[in-house]
Amino acid sequence: MTCGEAEPLLNARLDNELDMASSSNVDHHLSECQACSVQYMALQNLHDEIIAAELAYKPDPALERKLAGQFLTPEKKSPSSFWVLAGAAACVVVSILAFSMLRTTSETDATGSEILDNHLRALEPSHLVDVPSSDQHTVKPWFQGKTSFSPPVPDLTANDFILIGGRLEVIHQQPTAAIVYKRRQHVMSSAFTFLLPAARMRNPDSATWAAIICFIGCKAA
Amino acid sequence: MWPHLRAAYNFARWLVRNNHDAEDIVQESFLKAYKAIDTFRGGDARVWMLSIVRNTAMNFLRGRKPEIAVESEPEDHTPNPERGLLDQARREQVQRAISNLAPEFREAIVLREIEDLSYKEIASVLNIPIGTVMSRLSRARPAAR
Repeated sequence: MTCGEAEPLLNARLDNELDMASSSNVDHHLSECQACSVQYMALQNLHDEIIAAELAYKPDPALERKLAGQFLTPEKKSPSSFWVLAGAAACVVVSILAFSMLRTTSETDATGSEILDNHLRALEPSHLVDVPSSDQHTVKPWFQGKTSFSPPVPDLTANDFILIGGRLEVIHQQPTAAIVYKRRQHVMSSAFTFLLPAARMRNPDSATWAAIICFIGCKAA
Repeated sequence: MWPHLRAAYNFARWLVRNNHDAEDIVQESFLKAYKAIDTFRGGDARVWMLSIVRNTAMNFLRGRKPEIAVESEPEDHTPNPERGLLDQARREQVQRAISNLAPEFREAIVLREIEDLSYKEIASVLNIPIGTVMSRLSRARPAAR
């Protein structure tokens, strides 16, 4: 490899964007070429400095509250049942969204950690589901008498979500349904609530469901 | 914690260079995202969110008078032992250097070095070919030193 060939690849090499063959060719050239080596080290140093400088800005906590206020509008005319939406990507990051349309915004943090606790407990093998079934006609009626509402158990197989079952959760002392799906390597428990306008609340199609779940917490495997 | 809020805010902050406008942009972006949720068909939600933030920020910047409200960083001289081993002066230097980059270089560097996105993801957020990502980074980095 010549300098002319290596030089345009230095950034990509630094960013680990080269395939193994090109990577190894560049490395070989660097071991033999002082000029390119110096240039590469300068890139490396800057990269290291930027990381060490920790230049990511963090949002003010008040921004989160503002966002909650923007989306949490009490739903006056909708049915009496509300669900809390929690999505967690098991492999990557546990990110919890807790929205209860009945609650004031100051309680959403407590709700969020309650959901998180429930979800972490559920990830232990014995606790994932109370009613194991991939059949929505088994899972949905199971909640009768246990929760005050009948949870939606949408069929999301078209979007690659496999129903694992259902689980009873208690959030704010209220029994709630958690429906558990698996998508590729990710297992998600979602107790649903909506940030969608009331009209769409009636009948989200499965693609919208999948989009909501994915938006909340999944990364394409 | 809203997923992707931190990344959305950080990116917006680097693009518009002050906190107040960054917050407005984040709020607007989240609203747009929820209204457009039907168009999101899976994949990386963070990348999707960041591209919405970018579009919102660009629209905002186009409408704004130039050089208004670029916030200079408050001088923070308290030594922070938890921070990386970069001394404060050099840290401010690097921060300023990136802040002063032209927007197309700044956004590439921020997404690569601070948000740790891959070239493919950066190309997606910025809506440019991967080759352009590479060339922007190769020009941005020497300018950020």
